[in-house]
Formats: sequence, C-alpha cells, structure tokens
Amino acid sequence: MKQRLQITRYQILLNILPILSIVLFAGLWILVSSGEGHIIPSPGEVYDRAVRLFEKPINHVSLGGHIWASMKRVLNGLVFACLTGIPLGLLMGWSKTANSLLKPLFDLIRPIPALAWIPLMTLWFGIGESSKIALIYLGTLMPVLVNTYAGVKMIPQLNIDVARVFGASQLQIVKDIVMPSALSAIMAGIKTAVGTGWIVVLAAEMISADTGLGFMIIRGSNVADLALVIFAMLIIGLVGAFLSVLLTFAERKLCSWKIEIK
Amino acid sequence: MERRVKVKVEKLCKSFGDLKVIEDCSFQIYDGEFVCVVGPTGCGKTTFLNMLSSLLKPTKGAVLIDGEEAGPKKHNLSFIFQEPSAFPWLTVEENMAYGLRAKHKDKAYIKEQTEHMMELMGLGKYRRSYPKELSTSTEQKIVIGRAFAMNPDLLLMDEPYGQMDIKTRFYLEDEVIRIWKECQKTVVFITHNIEEAVYLAERVLILTNKPAKVKEEIIIPLPHPRNVEDPEFVRIRNYITDQIRWW
Repeated sequence: MKQRLQITRYQILLNILPILSIVLFAGLWILVSSGEGHIIPSPGEVYDRAVRLFEKPINHVSLGGHIWASMKRVLNGLVFACLTGIPLGLLMGWSKTANSLLKPLFDLIRPIPALAWIPLMTLWFGIGESSKIALIYLGTLMPVLVNTYAGVKMIPQLNIDVARVFGASQLQIVKDIVMPSALSAIMAGIKTAVGTGWIVVLAAEMISADTGLGFMIIRGSNVADLALVIFAMLIIGLVGAFLSVLLTFAERKLCSWKIEIK
Repeated sequence: MERRVKVKVEKLCKSFGDLKVIEDCSFQIYDGEFVCVVGPTGCGKTTFLNMLSSLLKPTKGAVLIDGEEAGPKKHNLSFIFQEPSAFPWLTVEENMAYGLRAKHKDKAYIKEQTEHMMELMGLGKYRRSYPKELSTSTEQKIVIGRAFAMNPDLLLMDEPYGQMDIKTRFYLEDEVIRIWKECQKTVVFITHNIEEAVYLAERVLILTNKPAKVKEEIIIPLPHPRNVEDPEFVRIRNYITDQIRWW
C-alpha cells in the first residue's frame, strides 16, 4: 500500500516537472528581457506582436499561410526523397551487386550538407519553389535511404529462411518479409528526415522567399523586429514538435505489432 | 504392409571448403513416417536438414521427393527452426496462412486449412494476437500449425524444443505426435535428446561424427503414446546412447 502511494506521488512529480521547466524558462526569459540593454523582447511584447500579426499579416499572407508554405516545401521534398530513397535503400540492402555499385557514390555525397548545394541549385532551378524543393530533397534523401538500408540489413536471416523454405520468390520475400521488417527503421529515417527538411527549408527561405517561417525571421531581422523573430522561432518549435508527435502516432499505427503489451 | 518411399537421399555429400561435413549419406524415408535423426553435437545435423529443405545445395548426391529433386518451388516443404520463427508483424491467423499464401493457394482453401489448424492447435482464441503477446510455447505452436497447414510433402524439424523447459517440451512432443497422427505427414525431426527421439520416432537414424553418415537405423516398434519407464523403451534409449557416445 505504502509502495503504491509512493509510486503515485512519483508519477505526480513526473507530470509536474514538464510544467515546472516551462514556467522556469518563462521566468528566466522575463528576467533577462527586463534587464538593461533590452537584449531580448519580453514575452508580453512577443504576445502583442503576435496579435498585431493577425491584424496586419506579413506580405498579405496569414500566419497559417506562412506555416503551410514552409510545410508544403518540406512535404514535397520529403515525398520525392521517400519515393527514391526507400526503393534505393531496399535495393542496396537486398542486393550486394547494387550495394557495391551505389554505396561509394552515396558515401561520397552523404557528408556534403544540403546547404552546400545552394549555389548549384540556384543556378539550375532559379530562386523559385523548385530550387527549395530540390534542396530539401537532397537533405532528406540520405536519412531515408540510410535508415531503409540499415533496416534491411538488420532483418534476421531466420525470417528470410522461413519464407525461402515455403518457396517464396525474391519479390515475395521483399514484399512480405523485408518491407514489414524494415518498416520501423524506415519510419525512424522519415522522422530524422523531417527534422533535416525543416532545417533546410528555413535556410532556403532565409536566402530568398516571400512566404514561409524562414522568411518571417529574415523580415523581422531586416527591420529589427526581434519580437517577430522570436514569435516565428516559437512557431517553428511548435510545428516541429507537432510533426514529431504525428509521426510517432503514424509509426505506432503502422507497426502496432512492435508495441509491448504491458 | 508395404510403405511407399517418399524421400530418397542418395550419396549425399557436403563440404565447406576443405571441411567435409557430410559424406556419402544414403537412406530412405517412407510416406507418412516419423523419423528422428540423432548424432553427436556438431556432427552436421543442421547442415543435413538444410539440404533436405534445399536451403543449402549439396556438394554431391541428391535428395529426391517422390522421385523428383527436392525444391521449395516444386514441393510443399515446411521447416520448423530451433528458434521460434513466427513472423512478429503478422497475427496468429496470418502467420498460419503465410506458407499457403506464399504458394498462391486458393483463398477458400487457405481459410479452411488455417481454421482447421487453429482448431487443432487450440489457437482460435488468439487468432488476432501478435506472437509477442503470447508465450514461447504458444509461439512454437503457431509455427507447428503453420508448418502442418501447408499439407507438407515433408516436414523438417530442427531441434524445435531444444530451448524449452521440460514441461513445455513434454507438452509439445505430445502435440506434435497428435497432429502427425491426424495429418499423416512425413516428418524428419532432428534432436540431440535421445529420450525425445525414442519417445517420438517410428525410426531413428544415428549419425556418426563429422563427416557424418548414417551409422545405424533403429526401428522403434512401440505404440504411441509411449511410456518412458517401459523396460523396452529404456533398453532402446540406452542402446542408442551407447551408439553415440559423444562424451
């Protein structure tokens, strides 16, 4: 009984701590912003700026419009990355020939940050949407591909042998055994890719764009509107957290067999 | 009664590089027979079974099923591995149906076979559960059910109960005998446990040390279910133990 009580208390504490950390963070923010030199706008100023944003949207695009603009770019790049990265990862994981042919190439390209491609992409695709999507594609392809590849490599030989004894063809093995076994690794790759895609889109928008959250930050910076910069940063954090929750949910739905029954 | 030859193994040899694992192994298995293969640890029992299932190609010689070279595309083969090998991402029902589905069997037939096996194995109430939610012995029952559902020409079992506790093992040994009697399938069962072999098999093949060949065949005329304390049972068990002597 006593033990149970302790556990409950501990659980209450675990539930309070996240709130506490946010409160402490806000307190620190207020403290710093009220100090001399006005290093950073106070939470109140950021709130006021946010309200004004709804009255007078930036570039005649609402906040939702800016979020969607960034998100759409990430999604476009990510879809292309999945459409090429997953099949390539499966191929490289499954076929030794394909692996020895393609791996050196990817090993060479992988360490190059997506942002290093900006000049080339701008030259080839201009400064419009397509160059941004191409950059996001380059940034998200590797995490998807590498995780798919690792997922295939980690499949227990036993599962493949079972299918082989039952007379399954190579194609059946890939579809019935490899795909479901590698699915959670692929999902992990997509999660990482969303993070990378988000970094790349902001950088791309800060270079040239008239919509998007990166554009909001650059606009704030250009007119010394730090409250706007901080508000955009907060939104970026919230959207990122939301995407992460969404993907975790999707992963649970798709890989329900993996979840431990307590 | 004359029994029909189901599996014919002719002068089977397997080497990995210079290492001869199996040399000149020849024997026959009759239709519907339950054969146990015993032999010293590491004598190549698993290699032997992997060739029967065509997971490995023999270096020389052949394995014929119904007079044709054995192959997973031509024949209905089932293999029960040492480790539990149910697919974790499929439910019990989907696992049971997997082999039949891989062979593109008719949907109605798959349903009928799966239902029949689930009933036989008492797994109906778990049909929508995932293997992870069940005990190891239940998982092994899924695998046994999946293997028999195939209506296999040849069912190969590679020390399937090696890692189980004694109670589970006794229980699953009786289960496999019960289903074998019901389905009348040809079974080759590998084990290092001599008591298990004498308890299950109609015939026991004793393999020699590496390179392995068949040292002796022993027919066990006792009816199932067998009594491990029966003096005849004990005599056969002791005899086989003497023939192996791996310690």
